[in-house]
Amino acid sequence: MDGAYRSGPAGRFLAWSTALYLVLPILIVLPVALTDQRFLSLPYERISLQHFRTVLTSPEWLGSIWQSFTIALASTALSVVAGTLCAIGCWRISRRATEMVRVLMLLPLIIPSIVYAIGLYRYFGALDLLDRFLGVVIAHGVTGIPYVVITVSTALAAFDPRLEQAARGMGASLSQTLRWVILPRIAPGIFSGAIFAFIHSWDELVMVLFIASRDVFTLPRRIWDGINENLDPAMAAVAVLLILFTLLLLMADLALRRRSQGR
Amino acid sequence: MSEPKGHALALLSLTKKYGDFVAVADVTLDVGRGEFLTLLGPSGSGKTTILMAVAGFVAPTAGAILLDGRDITPLPPEKRDFGMVFQGYALFPHMTVAENVAFPLRVRRLPRAERDARVRAALDLVQLEAFADRLPRQLSGGQQQRVALARALVFDPALLLLDEPLSALDKKLRAELQEELKALHRRVGRTFVNVTHDQEEALSLSDRIAILNHGRLVQAGAPGALYERPRTRFVADFLGKSNFLEGTVWGPAPGGFALDVGGARLAVRLPDGESPPAEGARSLLSLRPEKVALLSGEESAENIAEGRILAFAYHGTGFALRVETAHLGEIRAILPAWKAPIAPAEGLAVRLGWAADAAVPVQEDAA
Repeated sequence: MDGAYRSGPAGRFLAWSTALYLVLPILIVLPVALTDQRFLSLPYERISLQHFRTVLTSPEWLGSIWQSFTIALASTALSVVAGTLCAIGCWRISRRATEMVRVLMLLPLIIPSIVYAIGLYRYFGALDLLDRFLGVVIAHGVTGIPYVVITVSTALAAFDPRLEQAARGMGASLSQTLRWVILPRIAPGIFSGAIFAFIHSWDELVMVLFIASRDVFTLPRRIWDGINENLDPAMAAVAVLLILFTLLLLMADLALRRRSQGR
Repeated sequence: MSEPKGHALALLSLTKKYGDFVAVADVTLDVGRGEFLTLLGPSGSGKTTILMAVAGFVAPTAGAILLDGRDITPLPPEKRDFGMVFQGYALFPHMTVAENVAFPLRVRRLPRAERDARVRAALDLVQLEAFADRLPRQLSGGQQQRVALARALVFDPALLLLDEPLSALDKKLRAELQEELKALHRRVGRTFVNVTHDQEEALSLSDRIAILNHGRLVQAGAPGALYERPRTRFVADFLGKSNFLEGTVWGPAPGGFALDVGGARLAVRLPDGESPPAEGARSLLSLRPEKVALLSGEESAENIAEGRILAFAYHGTGFALRVETAHLGEIRAILPAWKAPIAPAEGLAVRLGWAADAAVPVQEDAA
């Protein structure tokens, strides 16, 4: 940015300390995960990978990781399909009523998740969905929809409606237009939404505490129980793995966006 | 190649209302097989609405659209089989040139081999074979325009619709592509319906022009006929430039009538078969600036007006003069620069002259 105001030393100090303030609590888990002790602490004498070994060999931790992963995948699929269709529908009809629908779709994001969880608990009991894989997938899938609606709506706002007219004018049916013209153009938005929906499910705890107990034991839930029961440094190791995984997803999102902007 | 293989289109009392606003009012128009018809009008004249109704994107409030006598009004756009070149081209940015052109064939599930052959032929038609693997954004405006044309023609459409196809190009390129478009029309022999607000484009491209204003069809005809014999003031003003002279009919004269304008008497000759207006009636004349000559010395003409040059502009090919005359008010004249009898100067006294058949009576447009 040529010609922009240059920041003074005070401004730069403020910016760096804000960044550190945000990042430090995340970074602190790294040395803790490498401790040689049997409780949550910084390394005393040497750096050790024993807790990573524990996590990656324990059937409980691996089971939870796998469960969280499959739940996140399934609920992401649900969010992406429902969210994309909703966004495209609102965009095509585009009346005042569809604005209402779009706001309605953002509700899961606005309502505190604990309120949502209590509601889910009430009627999942009646539907026999408590402590079920399907129950958690539905809960996470529905609350992941807003992310997809937002990113896909943004992508559609940049979509030239004449492209749709052109496709139809050349004889394309609705499904052909959708598959060959609209979806390829908004794919980056869909991927973005999918990544956010995945992360949302991957680290969601509050709803899981309410609607799952023994059979469904996701990773955040196991970390939570670990903190409550014993201060095992294995949790720090899990946290590091989680951070790395999330970073990877965000970087994928960033790369996708950059590619779509290049177009 | 000139045997017409296109289809005939007919609009019957086509009307489109948006609430109280009438976008298109009772337009009836025939487009012949293989004809190049241009819908010409200022913005808001309803020309694009008519094109969109023909394409199927706008449902008419009343009236019908017929293709070869068959009513196609209720058909959705994807069932009409019309090629269309959109304003701004609407090329698919994520597809290569070849994929763009292949799109209508892919939609129709043509076998791969035939698809490839036809895409090649279409790109050949617009001289873009070498660009098949480029993306639209890697092409210039003129090339994109030609891709849009190839894409609209590749599936042998019953009709080609063009929505301001040249408006996004600069002036020189526009003139070039006008010629190409005209040649293309002759080569493919299909029916073209073009929409534009550019009167020069309309005059040079079309077999026939339909002039629209406020949603109404004002006049339709061959470019020369419209230019030479405009029926109303709007047509005379919109298609080219015009002086307007208003006066009272003095009486019949051989082959026409005499008109009293501000005390001066003008001779007006009418084409055979046209009868002069009644004596004492008000009449309005349209006089093209290029038909007004600057008289030198003792030179004479059927109509003469004396005045002084108010202003002039040099345009390379000619001089544009504004002359304040004694009886007729301000008259504009365009003289070929290379044979102007005098060097124009502001305030210079001049004599203007024109033939009796140069001025054409026109009607005031209904408000």
